[in-house]
Amino acid sequence: MRRLLGLIPLLLLSLRGLASPFTPQSDDEALEQLPRRLATAPRQGLALPQALALAQAALQRARQEGDPRELGQAQALLAPWWRLPSPPPAVRLLRASILQTQHRFDAALQDLDALLASSAPLALRAQAELTRAAVLQLRGRWAEARGACTRLAGLSYAALGSGVQVHGRVCLAELDSLQGHGEADAAAALAQLARYPQAPTGWVRLLRAELAERRGLPEAEALYAQALQAEPSIYTRAALADWLLARRRWADAAALVLAHEVELTRLPDALLLRLAIAWRASGHARAGEAAAQLHERFEAAALRGDGSAHARERARYALDVRPDAREALQQAIANWALQREPADALLLWRAARLPGAPKPLAAQARQAIEQFRRETGLNDARWSAAS
Amino acid sequence: MKRILLMLMLLCAGAAQAHKASDAYLILEADATGLSQRVDIALRDLDRELQLDANADGQLSWGEVRARTHEIDQLAQQGLGLVLRDADGSSCTPQALAPLQIESRSDGRYAVLQRRWQCQAAAQDLTLSYRLFADSDPTHRGVLSLRGPAGDQTLVLPPDGEAAQLRLGAAHSLLSVLRDGVHHIWIGLDHILFLLSLLLPAVLVREGTHWRPATHLKPVLLEVLGVVSAFTLAHSITLALAAFDILNPPSRWVESLIAASVLVAALNNLWPLLLHGRWRLTFAFGLVHGFGFASALKELGLQREALAGPLLMFNLGVELGQLAVVTAFMGLVWGLRQRSFYPRWLLGGGSALIALLALGWLLERLFDLQLLGL
Repeated sequence: MRRLLGLIPLLLLSLRGLASPFTPQSDDEALEQLPRRLATAPRQGLALPQALALAQAALQRARQEGDPRELGQAQALLAPWWRLPSPPPAVRLLRASILQTQHRFDAALQDLDALLASSAPLALRAQAELTRAAVLQLRGRWAEARGACTRLAGLSYAALGSGVQVHGRVCLAELDSLQGHGEADAAAALAQLARYPQAPTGWVRLLRAELAERRGLPEAEALYAQALQAEPSIYTRAALADWLLARRRWADAAALVLAHEVELTRLPDALLLRLAIAWRASGHARAGEAAAQLHERFEAAALRGDGSAHARERARYALDVRPDAREALQQAIANWALQREPADALLLWRAARLPGAPKPLAAQARQAIEQFRRETGLNDARWSAAS
Repeated sequence: MKRILLMLMLLCAGAAQAHKASDAYLILEADATGLSQRVDIALRDLDRELQLDANADGQLSWGEVRARTHEIDQLAQQGLGLVLRDADGSSCTPQALAPLQIESRSDGRYAVLQRRWQCQAAAQDLTLSYRLFADSDPTHRGVLSLRGPAGDQTLVLPPDGEAAQLRLGAAHSLLSVLRDGVHHIWIGLDHILFLLSLLLPAVLVREGTHWRPATHLKPVLLEVLGVVSAFTLAHSITLALAAFDILNPPSRWVESLIAASVLVAALNNLWPLLLHGRWRLTFAFGLVHGFGFASALKELGLQREALAGPLLMFNLGVELGQLAVVTAFMGLVWGLRQRSFYPRWLLGGGSALIALLALGWLLERLFDLQLLGL
């Protein structure tokens, strides 16, 4: 019954999408909360250093607040150089980062490969190497990622100081941590790296938390909380919410999301998704509203041709918010073609096991995962927990 | 070195995806005399471009938005780069902006700008050189939904200023033209009353100065078939002639003659002059009705080069609509023909009413008056 009641606001909301526009009652009526505005510097004709600094700030905001409009601004700031086949190295590096955030991984890798083959300043090449390792790891190309991490940890960039080497070692520890046989060593290495002053604190804590979760260790929760404290990113908050959801702690998961932002329309997709799951599972009065809001966003993204960028969220939505076995599996497969992190493998594995999933697709998905596990040695305690 | 470390920190945020990027929604609906245009633009995007937040409190109020309506509209007009031409090739003109409104969408509030584009004939060639926010956000997209008689069409426009050319006339599917044909005969009261006047006496036989019910179905059906075929043949001829612009009589005379045809058909039931071979009368007036159908077909704004298919489908639609009316009507009057009230009240009274109505139309159309509101 609760589930049925949840559907009603959902229907009303989707009808509202078709409703006609309205005229506000009074001039004082608040219509929109604005994001922090870019400093009103002239956007046209900026010199390269200024344009780079502003674009970098926009990219950072995009990642912290999850508003892709900021990526558009960053791109606009770099407009004079954006379409050049080989722009100045600093622009090329930033372009790769923007492309990566837009899920245009192949284009990003092209830029990064070109930078590494060039005589760009060593510092830029180090950054390119690290970004490249991140993209390769995300794509499931762990052997190539390992090559990049090894170079960072070695002597190639020693002239830049020990900070780069520490990053290289974190990067290697992450790859080890993904593979069952290296887990214990990786945990020890990460614990040791956490004590280095040059270590990226938020990243190391996040890796330790993720590893603990894959190993099924309860200290994951405290590690996630520490990671979030060091760096309040959407990614980390969503990961901690997932930990809580897996333990059926619906109220805690919802509270964690709402600590980021209480207004549903202003929540990033990844967090709204966790909130919708928590509310639905606990029979919250606004469960239907959150689900409808998400659905509307997916529809709007698909309309502009961005459907595949949301495949991860759409698969999870079809698994845990509005159950639809076929949709869940299709989206999980589409996402697997793009992203191959442990969370993506888990998603595909869960979708392939749904009773209503189309048989041939499910068999294909199971085979893909088995092959990936054999090749990479990925180990994840969540798989046995979810079965 | 510090800068590197700062950038390194950015990486671990991984692939946290969020809202969709900036979109504007264009809803364009073409009709017989122009186009209605609705553009929804996110307030956040407008604020970035026009600094709408006058008191800089990080919040937009209705007053702050409304006060800048003119600039918002200018920005939208420049961003759209809309040029519209009608079927005759002349430019259509944008009308005044309707009062500004607001819409809630999944990623926030949008300003809604609505206006009409007025054409002399049906809107036909639409050009959009879209470049809204081209300088401030190249990932912005215009999501265009074009609505017309043939259904909806969706297009995603990047703000590159390249001209997207759309032919509104070509959007008519054959099926929709068929439906238009059916629709036209069903709402065309004059065409239907003309037919009914001819069919009312078909189930009766005239003996001297009296009517008696027909006893056999076959001669009745033959008579109906004759009348309907004559009407169909005649209006198909003139419909084609007018559609291809071979004959183009002024519409005032066509409409007046159609009214006169209804009047004559009804009067012939009251004071029968032409009893046998009513099909001849039907054929003659059917020619006039065909010109009437043609003007409805032209309102659809079809391309002259590809007229044959739609013309055939429109005609077929008219015949189907007509067949449905005739079948239903004949079933009814065949069942009622033996009732004593049929000759006096249905045939006589009905025809008198139709004649009165037709007279009203005739006066209206001849002298360009407004009498009946029908």
